[in-house]
Amino acid sequence: MKKRLAAILIATFTLCSILSGCGKTTDSSAPTGADDSAKAGGAQTLKIWSIATEGDSSHHAYEAAIADYMSAHPDVTVEMETFENESYKTKIKTVAASDELPDIYFTWGGGFSQPFVEAGKALNLDSYYTDYQDELPQGTMSYATYDGSVYGVPYVVSISGIFYNKKMFEQYGLSEPKTWDDLMNVTKTFLDNGITPFGVSVKEAWVMAMFNDALTLKCVGPEMLDKAFTGSGTGYEDAGFTDAAEKLSELFKMGAFDKNAAALSNDEAVSEFLAGTVPMYVTGAWLDGSIQSGAENPDDFSFMPFPACSDQAVLEDSMGGAQDMLMVNPKTKDADLAANAAFEIAKSLSKYGYQDGAGLAAWKVDYEVEGQSPISERMAECVNEANSLTVWSGTLMSAEDYTDYQSALQEFFVGNIDSKTFVETMNKMLTE
Amino acid sequence: MDKVRHNKGAAIILLLPAIILFVSIIIIPIICSGYYSLTEWDGIRDKVFIGFSNYRELFEGEVLRGSIKNMLLLALCAVGIQLPLALVFAILISGGIKGEKMYMTVFFIPVMLSTVVIGQLWLKIYNPSHGLLNGILSMIGLENYADSWLGNQGKVLAAVFVPMIWQYVGYHMLLMYAGIKSINSEIIEAAKIDGANGFQIACRITIPMLMPVLEVCTIFAVTGAFKSFDLIYILTGGGPAHASEVPSTLMFTEIFQKNHYGVGSAIAIFIILICFTSAIIIKRIFKRWEV
Repeated sequence: MKKRLAAILIATFTLCSILSGCGKTTDSSAPTGADDSAKAGGAQTLKIWSIATEGDSSHHAYEAAIADYMSAHPDVTVEMETFENESYKTKIKTVAASDELPDIYFTWGGGFSQPFVEAGKALNLDSYYTDYQDELPQGTMSYATYDGSVYGVPYVVSISGIFYNKKMFEQYGLSEPKTWDDLMNVTKTFLDNGITPFGVSVKEAWVMAMFNDALTLKCVGPEMLDKAFTGSGTGYEDAGFTDAAEKLSELFKMGAFDKNAAALSNDEAVSEFLAGTVPMYVTGAWLDGSIQSGAENPDDFSFMPFPACSDQAVLEDSMGGAQDMLMVNPKTKDADLAANAAFEIAKSLSKYGYQDGAGLAAWKVDYEVEGQSPISERMAECVNEANSLTVWSGTLMSAEDYTDYQSALQEFFVGNIDSKTFVETMNKMLTE
Repeated sequence: MDKVRHNKGAAIILLLPAIILFVSIIIIPIICSGYYSLTEWDGIRDKVFIGFSNYRELFEGEVLRGSIKNMLLLALCAVGIQLPLALVFAILISGGIKGEKMYMTVFFIPVMLSTVVIGQLWLKIYNPSHGLLNGILSMIGLENYADSWLGNQGKVLAAVFVPMIWQYVGYHMLLMYAGIKSINSEIIEAAKIDGANGFQIACRITIPMLMPVLEVCTIFAVTGAFKSFDLIYILTGGGPAHASEVPSTLMFTEIFQKNHYGVGSAIAIFIILICFTSAIIIKRIFKRWEV
């Protein structure tokens, strides 16, 4: 009797523990403190997650945008939680899998959010977008649009190109390169004077990928790059891709990149650029923030588009686009409220972020901007004059392809594979 | 007391909290991982059951094989370098030298430091342009040997192993030191009277009597090497070009960068199995020696 009782007891306890582990925690999400009075008046709470941690350049923009929204909608309380960039990528996926997403969440458009959209973890925003169409240009929506429908609200647009040290260029009588030959000339001049021309990190291979993205874009043109990287084209077979790989190989052989790049993190490589030991660094608009805060004399630095390397592309074709965006959880209590809040907050974010120098505005600029850094102005110019904007491989490619792409670049850099094998590897990976 | 002991119902109820905890945080996750490893799953969309394909794909791939080789090499270094070093230090320090406590503390500091701190420390030491190691080499006229330690495929493994081994020497030393201190001092005194020297005492008395502790240390060192992740992740992330990859860093890449939860879980199951088997084998070997 006792034995049976014990067995039943164990079984119940184990079952309970399993069930409680698997079950969803019903979140009562009672906001604490300050908004108690507002709650009495039928207040609603919106939870928003972002990567704007206190040290992040967009932290202030988020706080200001949320404060603006709350003062315009006194009956709504917006609670923001922030996470560190890399851990957020893991966090948001895990949380999406267990259906515990907040009402509004930050994410990256294109490939990263594809599974979210397909699994129904993002609200279709078509009907809400029509209200904001005039203020949010179609061109910035390309990575927020899946199968013709809008799922994300972008607020910042970015661009990549060559950040360079004006002082060092002047010292050797060099001007901004416009073509591949110009670039080779600049590279050779620096090498002849014992200076490594390009800073890069291969340990964090996304930095090397930024360089190769730009070079490949300027060899094959925007359409073909987009098709190849998204796996919807003819892969990597076009002669332009081979040309790009050979050009990269040539740069490797010349010693155009820091030979220690495989051991350096992005931060370490950037610090050498800021210290003035390396004259050029290919990366995205965010480097401006580091230049303004970390360089001894920020006016020594400037920005230029990556030179055109073939007839397929012009100088005004750039890597960039609106990749950071807000999406809305379809399981939110009040979809209209959350969707409108996402648009309103993104609109203010665009403004404050631009004013703070955290990024370029994705929404129309109908306000005065003061105190922009010359680099930021130059980048805004490049965005406005752009013939095309193609977002980076990290967004275009699936997560799997992007990881393999980075590891192929590492192999290429350390000399395990040559340009021919690199192209073959890329082709196999992108057409599979 | 006897009454309570014979009351099985009471025993079961008293053991229940521990059993629930053990089952829910160890057994269930392992079973879940085992199930995930048989599916194709990106972490968000529905799982598709695909049998043992993940395992087949893994063991046919070169990357996992390379990482297993690195893992075995690390375990070999842990047993062949780390443990003997710890044993020598433990014997020397327990011999009653001056500053016994001070040495204990000094050797134990790396164990107390967070791995992230140690990783950052060694990143600075290995930094190719202003790191301590290259600085010292060029100071003593060996600048030809200066290298980008974590960027050179041929040297990265050795460069990563050094801090990993160094970090836990103090830990094993402490275990062995405690073991040596618990050996009855009369035995050692008797040996001394019989004319045995320090080396003979160590080989004939201390080490044989320390076998149970050595067994525990070996299991810790080997399984620790098999599941090592943190320092490698901080120092190289498994690179350059997979040169310092171990199964756990590969598992991280598969799950969190490629969204391959199925393949990643298969690696996790592999690590669990190899840790269990090695622990059992080590126990068997020591049992034979003890008898």
